[in-house]
Amino acid sequence: MTDVAEGPLPSIGDTPRDTKARSDFPGESSMWFFVVGDLLIFGIYFIAYVYYRGQDHDLFLQSQARLNLDIGAINTVVLLTSSLFVALGTSAARAGKTADGVRLFVIALACGAAFPLLKLFEYIPEVIAGVTPGTNLFFMYYFVMTGLHLCHVMLGLVILCFIVGNLRGSAKPNISFVETGATYWHMVDILWLILFALLYLMR
Amino acid sequence: MTDSIATAPPPTTEAAPPRRRNSKLDQWIAFWTVPFFFTLFGIVFVPLSWMMPPRSPSSSSSQIVDFMQSHNLLIACAILTLSFGLAPLSNAVYLIQIKRMSVSPVLRFSVVVGSMTGAIVGMLFPMFCFGLGAFRSGYDPSILAMLYDFGYLAYIGSLGCFCVMWMAFGLAIILDKNNVLPKWLGYYTVWQYVTELMAAPVWIFKSGPFAWNGLMTFWFAMVLYVSWQMIVYVCIYRAIKNQPDDELENA
Amino acid sequence: MTTYIRNPLTIVWALLTLITVVSWLTARGGGAEHVVNATVTVVVLLIAAVKTQLVIWHFMEVRSAALWLRVATMSWLVALFALLLSVYFLALP
Repeated sequence: MTDVAEGPLPSIGDTPRDTKARSDFPGESSMWFFVVGDLLIFGIYFIAYVYYRGQDHDLFLQSQARLNLDIGAINTVVLLTSSLFVALGTSAARAGKTADGVRLFVIALACGAAFPLLKLFEYIPEVIAGVTPGTNLFFMYYFVMTGLHLCHVMLGLVILCFIVGNLRGSAKPNISFVETGATYWHMVDILWLILFALLYLMR
Repeated sequence: MTDSIATAPPPTTEAAPPRRRNSKLDQWIAFWTVPFFFTLFGIVFVPLSWMMPPRSPSSSSSQIVDFMQSHNLLIACAILTLSFGLAPLSNAVYLIQIKRMSVSPVLRFSVVVGSMTGAIVGMLFPMFCFGLGAFRSGYDPSILAMLYDFGYLAYIGSLGCFCVMWMAFGLAIILDKNNVLPKWLGYYTVWQYVTELMAAPVWIFKSGPFAWNGLMTFWFAMVLYVSWQMIVYVCIYRAIKNQPDDELENA
Repeated sequence: MTTYIRNPLTIVWALLTLITVVSWLTARGGGAEHVVNATVTVVVLLIAAVKTQLVIWHFMEVRSAALWLRVATMSWLVALFALLLSVYFLALP
């Protein structure tokens, strides 16, 4: 991301409070372009999934029974918690409480890192049991969509690392970068919320 | 001879305008071959040979044989063979812009390697496969079926090289401090990478939304790709136009 | 420390976690037999919609963002879930 000044420039005498009232949205506009577009793209994939599910209810239902619902639910809470800490960290950073911000983002990172770990516990037993993307259409959807989402998560973790680095490193952290990364992370959370409902919960 | 020397513009500032008009000529030539190339390809692939939209992976043997030995495929392959060389030009147009960016050369090299591999695997291999069917008669139907699979899978299933290319290009745009190309285009390019990943299942399924002619892997990817391709060239057009002359490498 | 616990964002998170558990229990309970069940589906999808709205509104701070962004994200939300439910109902045996 470009070296933009940290959000709207505070004027002299401003307390380091939330200056959001002066900006249209947190972070850079290009990230919002990405977020809205990604939500649209995934949205179309979601609708296609429900359509194909409707063509073969039995196949999808039987296959769903083989998913690990509990890990799915735990992962949902993991991501929600991580998002909470990202949101808290973002407001801390904005308010100038950089040390708090670092701590909060590190917790967010730790929570977020639990996601791929739990996913391993989910994927590996499945693959060992012979369930692979090639097994049937449901599992193709499942592996492709959760796999794609996992890639998003990994990228998000990298971005969180950069945010922590940014907050620790400089005296004047780049708040715009923090907000931009946070926006991305929340989008990743949202995608999972919907995926969880579609793949694991709906009948 | 003496005439041309006499009329050659003297190296003063008043003579600068005619030189400035021509100094980007090389880039413009390369740039304009691209729409020509893509249009040609569009004609070759669609109305001429009906290779695109992709035929069904589960076509019957006689359908495959008819297609592989059709007259139209012959013409299409001939045109493809002759114009294949334009592919590197279209990639060069991207590269010149990436060179202007403030990012590490590793991204530029990744795009080069990705595009070279992509052109070989994604265009040359299908050209050979369909060409073999079109230019040589008398192959066994089962061999033609194999060539048909090979051709389509090489064309649609060759993702790794394009993944690298689009990710490198997208990252370069996003991280670029010189703002050569707009940031949102970088993110749009990252979606190309996503659609390439989505194409992986074509190796497994012969029908349904994840086959090489499927809704998820082909049609939706096409919508995203075609729009991106047009938009990226509009952005590059602007980038070439806006580049100050003193920054040109041949300035 | 307590400022973070009493922070409105934390309250939103608690709500999110609560309704996640509710939807999980719904799938475990009503959806235990893996048969077509419109009630379960409607419940879990609506809960997902509510969760998504909360994350967008509060965590992503769209609540205080420009009007066009609020409209865009909420329209996406409504359109997506409306379509998901419609396609689901249209295909019911």
